[in-house]
Amino acid sequence: MDSNKKYWKGLEELNKTPEFVELNKHEFAEPIPIEEVLTGGGLEGRTPRRDFLKALGFGVGAVTLAACQKVPVHKSLPYLIKPEEVTPGVPNYYVSTYDGQAILVKTREGRPIKIEGHPNDILAKGGASAQAQASVLDLYDTNRFQSPTKNGAETGWAQVDDFVVRELLAIKAGGKKIRIVSSTVSSPSTLGVIADFIKQFPTAAHINYDAVSYNGIIKGNQNSFGKAVLPHYNFDKADIIVSFAADFLGTWISPEEFTRQYVSNRNIKSLESKKMSRHIQFETGMSLTGSNADVRIPIKPSEEGPALVALYNAISGSTLPGTKTIDNKVAANAITIAAKELVAAKGKALVVAGSNDVATQVLVNAINSLLGSYGTTIDLDNPSLQYAGNDAEFVEFVSDMKSGAVDAVFFLNANPAYDYYNSKDIADGLKKVRLKVSFASNADETSSLCNIVAPNHHYLESWGDDNAISGYYTVLQPTINPVYDTRQAEQSLMKWSDNPLKDYYSYVRNNWNTSLLAKGGLSGQSGWETLLQTGFVKAAPVTGGSYTFAKDLNAVAQTILDHSKELAGDKTEVQLYQSVAMRDGKRANNPWLQELPDPVSKVTWDNFAAMAPSDMKRKGLVDGDVVKIDANGYSVALPVLSQPGQAQGTISVAVGYGRTVVGPVGKGVGQNAFPFYSLRNGTFQTSATATLTPTGDNSPLAQTQTHHSIEGRNSIIKEATFVEYKKNPAVGTGKSEDHKDYTEKNNLFWQKYERPTYDWVMAIDLNACTGCGACVVACSAENNVPVVGKDEVKRRREMHWIRIDRYYSFDDKGDGGVTREHAIADLNTDQLDHVKVVYQPMLCQHCDHAPCETVCPVLATVHSSEGLNHMAYNRCVGTRYCANNCPYKVRRFNWFNYWNDARFENYLQNDHTLLVLNPDVTTRFRGVMEKCSMCIQRIQAGKLKAKIEKRPLKDGEIKMACQQTCSANAIVFGNRNDPDSEVSKALASERTYYVLEELGVQPGVGYQTKIRNISELEA
Amino acid sequence: MASHSESIIREPLITGKDITYAQITNDVLRPVENMPGKAWWIGFSVASLGACLWVFAVSYTFWYGIGSWGLNKTVGWAWDITGFVWWVGIGHAGTLISAILLLFRQNWRNSINRSAEAMTIFAVICAATYVVSHMGRPWLAYWPLPLPNQFGSIWVNFNSPLVWDVFAISTYFSVSLVFWYTGLLPDLATIRDRATGIRRKIYSVLSFGWTGSVKTWQRFETVCLILAGISTPLVLSVHTIVSMDFATSLEPGWHTTIFPPYFVAGAIFSGFAMVQTLLLVTRKVLGLENYITMFHIEAMNKIILLTGSIVGVAYLTEFFIAYYSGGEYEQYTFLNRFIGPYWWAGCMMYGCNVLMTQLMWFKKIRTNIPISWVLSIVVNIGMWFERFVIIVISLHRDFVPSSWAMFYPTWIDVSVFVGSIGLFFTMFLLFIRVLPSIAMAEVKLILKSSSEQAKLKLIKSGHLEGEQVEFYEESLTKFDSVDITDYKKA
Repeated sequence: MDSNKKYWKGLEELNKTPEFVELNKHEFAEPIPIEEVLTGGGLEGRTPRRDFLKALGFGVGAVTLAACQKVPVHKSLPYLIKPEEVTPGVPNYYVSTYDGQAILVKTREGRPIKIEGHPNDILAKGGASAQAQASVLDLYDTNRFQSPTKNGAETGWAQVDDFVVRELLAIKAGGKKIRIVSSTVSSPSTLGVIADFIKQFPTAAHINYDAVSYNGIIKGNQNSFGKAVLPHYNFDKADIIVSFAADFLGTWISPEEFTRQYVSNRNIKSLESKKMSRHIQFETGMSLTGSNADVRIPIKPSEEGPALVALYNAISGSTLPGTKTIDNKVAANAITIAAKELVAAKGKALVVAGSNDVATQVLVNAINSLLGSYGTTIDLDNPSLQYAGNDAEFVEFVSDMKSGAVDAVFFLNANPAYDYYNSKDIADGLKKVRLKVSFASNADETSSLCNIVAPNHHYLESWGDDNAISGYYTVLQPTINPVYDTRQAEQSLMKWSDNPLKDYYSYVRNNWNTSLLAKGGLSGQSGWETLLQTGFVKAAPVTGGSYTFAKDLNAVAQTILDHSKELAGDKTEVQLYQSVAMRDGKRANNPWLQELPDPVSKVTWDNFAAMAPSDMKRKGLVDGDVVKIDANGYSVALPVLSQPGQAQGTISVAVGYGRTVVGPVGKGVGQNAFPFYSLRNGTFQTSATATLTPTGDNSPLAQTQTHHSIEGRNSIIKEATFVEYKKNPAVGTGKSEDHKDYTEKNNLFWQKYERPTYDWVMAIDLNACTGCGACVVACSAENNVPVVGKDEVKRRREMHWIRIDRYYSFDDKGDGGVTREHAIADLNTDQLDHVKVVYQPMLCQHCDHAPCETVCPVLATVHSSEGLNHMAYNRCVGTRYCANNCPYKVRRFNWFNYWNDARFENYLQNDHTLLVLNPDVTTRFRGVMEKCSMCIQRIQAGKLKAKIEKRPLKDGEIKMACQQTCSANAIVFGNRNDPDSEVSKALASERTYYVLEELGVQPGVGYQTKIRNISELEA
Repeated sequence: MASHSESIIREPLITGKDITYAQITNDVLRPVENMPGKAWWIGFSVASLGACLWVFAVSYTFWYGIGSWGLNKTVGWAWDITGFVWWVGIGHAGTLISAILLLFRQNWRNSINRSAEAMTIFAVICAATYVVSHMGRPWLAYWPLPLPNQFGSIWVNFNSPLVWDVFAISTYFSVSLVFWYTGLLPDLATIRDRATGIRRKIYSVLSFGWTGSVKTWQRFETVCLILAGISTPLVLSVHTIVSMDFATSLEPGWHTTIFPPYFVAGAIFSGFAMVQTLLLVTRKVLGLENYITMFHIEAMNKIILLTGSIVGVAYLTEFFIAYYSGGEYEQYTFLNRFIGPYWWAGCMMYGCNVLMTQLMWFKKIRTNIPISWVLSIVVNIGMWFERFVIIVISLHRDFVPSSWAMFYPTWIDVSVFVGSIGLFFTMFLLFIRVLPSIAMAEVKLILKSSSEQAKLKLIKSGHLEGEQVEFYEESLTKFDSVDITDYKKA
């Protein structure tokens, strides 16, 4: 049906008025005034034109001004051809070797950024030392030699080769001696290259020279058993360990390995089976090892000999000639007890001595032989090859040099001009040497005396291998192209000796193909490839002979006692030791190590004279007072430090400081103590007698901890004796007593939060932690923790996210000891000697009811649903209230812009050192708070990996940086929601307690009580 | 108020014989309408040098970072928050005088409220500068404000006492400023009416077109009363909240429920001491002895004595609770104030605040101007140390002994503090040059009833009991601005 509806828009249309009809003819009902606009004032008007120009002017001007802002251009170049194995943002791990120990090198986009312990490494089983952790920073040290030099001027490799080869040929013709002086070389391939070199130049010889020598032990074994080796010790097989000044947990031979072994008899597993080794330490200065001992007796260096003689007498039941009673009653008593216990544990006992004196080591061998240690706790058949320095050979070399018999010398990783006790002889001798070549990668005292410096690669740039313990062969593979124009020392030696193989890589391959791969049952290309993935081969151990000591000890005892008589007297006895952080001083330019607090003294950036508190009082000295120490015709002025446990009448001074030719970091740090060494019976001795003269100056030491006792606060440190523990494992935690439950279910005041998937927590075993501090460096490397330098540490502003608290307690009579400041001041000298030490790693406790979180005005620190306390740096305005309110004082504030402030430029700021930073962790700007994040980047990476692989996260898959590097496995991290996780089990231990748990902050880090194996005899 | 006769036994609030409204105006406006004297110039030069030092020290801090102060990993606040709380405390007397004393009809406040309020505002400004400058990233100082933003759903933490503090201080500052300015209006109009040229223009803008009509006065009085009502809770709230900056923490020595009343009393204590310090000098230099009389001085001394004693009781309570709680950390913190390395700071705190103020029980001391002046300064030194003790001594040795540390101020710390005093005095000295330092209009209110001349007239009228007159005359002997021999003759 058609519609006849009509729609109309107005009455005019409906009615069709004439006006409407007329208007409807046009397109627009009303005419548009186009003409008017075009011809009238519209365009010609003055105002619109001017306005237009104004707008135009302003617009152009504004745009121009805005464009004047120079936008910094950061060129980031993508891979033109992306290497197959490199995915930006995803780290690659390569096996390599540090100091004979298999390691993993974490690389990101082709640059190594972190060293991790190799989980299968037979020495430390995944642990790595502070030195290993710090070594990656040396790679990027801008103070390294950037090219070879000749007489101090930069030159090219061709010129150097030309010169050296010409000289060598002339020297060969002249027939004078050629010497290669190195610190111990244990690499089979390097030794091969050196042997080839010697073949080419028959007057050449290789001298192993270690700044800190173990020659006494080697010679002692030669003397006792006819085997000139450094034995391999098995601390894990010893139920009782008696150590005479051997710092085997800190610096002695192979501390990471020994730590692992030692702790295996003291950790949670061992304790739960009611087993714990016992450790008695006799020593002068408080070493890391001594501080971990169950019983520690301070003795002077002069008392060490008589004490060993007394121990021998007590064990053997005979009396060596010349034996006198020991004046030190405490030591005499302890010797009797130790002898009894050692004899009782025959076959499971171990006596070690740190001395480098041959006679002393022979006596120790005799004692160990009586105790049946050979074949059990001491292995002479599979010896350690870590130290092979021969003191006498080196001394002979020095006199050869002085007499002009040496025409060429090559220094490989050796710096005798600094660390030889008579460095003047080196300087004088070198003047008479025609060709002096140093392979040093950084300028050092010796390289500055050489005419050629042929800088070696950093080990992360090198091919190579190593052999720390006989039968254990590890491989080095480069993880980066050489950063500077350096060349591997072996390559240089091969070139100069016209080796038939042209490059060292082929040499290493060859060496492995022909002899080493087979030891691990590998062969050929596939064997090599396997090796590059596993990192090492382990040959079957040599099972060996039995060793019984059968030499006459009379002369030995006489030598020991004579030496002791020489040391004893009115003068102060000086003991020289290696500090855990600096060791022999080769790494002096490494800021991470300089800022690593000494485990015991907590001093950074300095060495000092450690003195007994009673001696300090007697002499009227206070901490930091500078004294002049005169000994062996050499003197240095060093600040003194009151060190509880230091034997009275002695001081201890660390070697490894006072480098003079070194990069800006190490310059002027401490004083050189190596010249206090002396040569005795062909080995270097580490004790001397000195006169002390106060200079009247005071030079405050930069300590990270200045209050040393726990003030009776037993909710921070909890400890018990092994005897008590066996009766009640929860002793010391307070759980068995009338103990209030501070766990969440009893806490009605605060809201409870859900942790649906993960609840990240940590367990730290105080009985496993030795306090070495490797975790501190590992954390700094992982989390880009800035280095602040001595002045700032002095102001108590170090930035470490994890620290090791160290507390002393005095006069322990089984009641926890005297720990209050005012009570300690009243103790007498003997009571002050009787000191116990406890270490406590302290990091953010990730409290479930974190006091820092409630006080932040801007919510910069908040809690995650996985139980972590987060820190949003970008949100932080820096009120520092969170740090004030943190009961554990673990928060660190960026007082300055450590990444762009001239005062800190030597540490991590330059273009190369910045490359070591972990790209997964942002650096923090000044004015921002930071703290332990529980390696959130590692947690995230682990979760993502599991997600990509479509599987649940495995326990132990994510390891914290601190945990990873811990040779003692004292730190366990994991998910509390998983009852089977290692951390849940550790926290379920009866020894578990939480620091300051009565505050109700619900910390996420549980500690296990410290257990001391103290028998009733000495209590 | 002005019409009735006041009891003769009340001491006069205005002394002098021929005080008229005009006389008051002339006396009070003398420094505003004339060139400053030598004393002012010397004072101003010193103060502005101090202010320059402040500008330099604060700029240095901004440029290099908070590290230029002596703080460390253990002591995260020291001179900064000490200075902040000290200034906020000083800023308490003004509002107390203007608000609470107004509500309680304490007419003697009329002579001192103007300066006290000005002092409050300047002190709060000094305190606020610390709030900003102590931040690690001061350019983000606006983040603790709950502003809408584009950072995502980021809001402030209403649990944090620092956020409460931001509200408390900003509210206090704005209300104090409004109250002070409202009170100034009639006086500004007086200056305007007497001024010429450019000054007249400026003051006429500043006086908001005050006409002086009855309706204006009525509204003025009402507004003042309302503002007094608003300000009164603020007097108590501000320092309560400042105290919560500490009290809500876990820190032994801070975690104390007594803090709010203790801090408020302490604030009034230090505020009155600062008023005393300033007015004793001002009245002498500007010749205002007739308006700020011995009665005022003694009344303020009495308040100082009262609040000082409250503070003393609070100290004792703290020690008792520390003992009674059995909390080992708290016990140690309080013992540490006497036997720790900062024992001298503890002694300054307790000595200046408790022992010295107890001297005020003696009338001779209360009415002795030099001693009062010295004691008022002693009180503020003591109150500075109180905050230093609470903040630094508590922090430097708290729970974990490994982190115990000492705090040593740097020269920047000292400069910021000394400079803030310079800033304060610069502002105060400028204030007495351009604004009436006594509320003229309010003083005029009581001229007819509470002045010495009104009382004399009353005596002369002869209707009073002789005993009361004698009592009155006796009370006049302490006034330094009254010539007592006149009465002896009569």
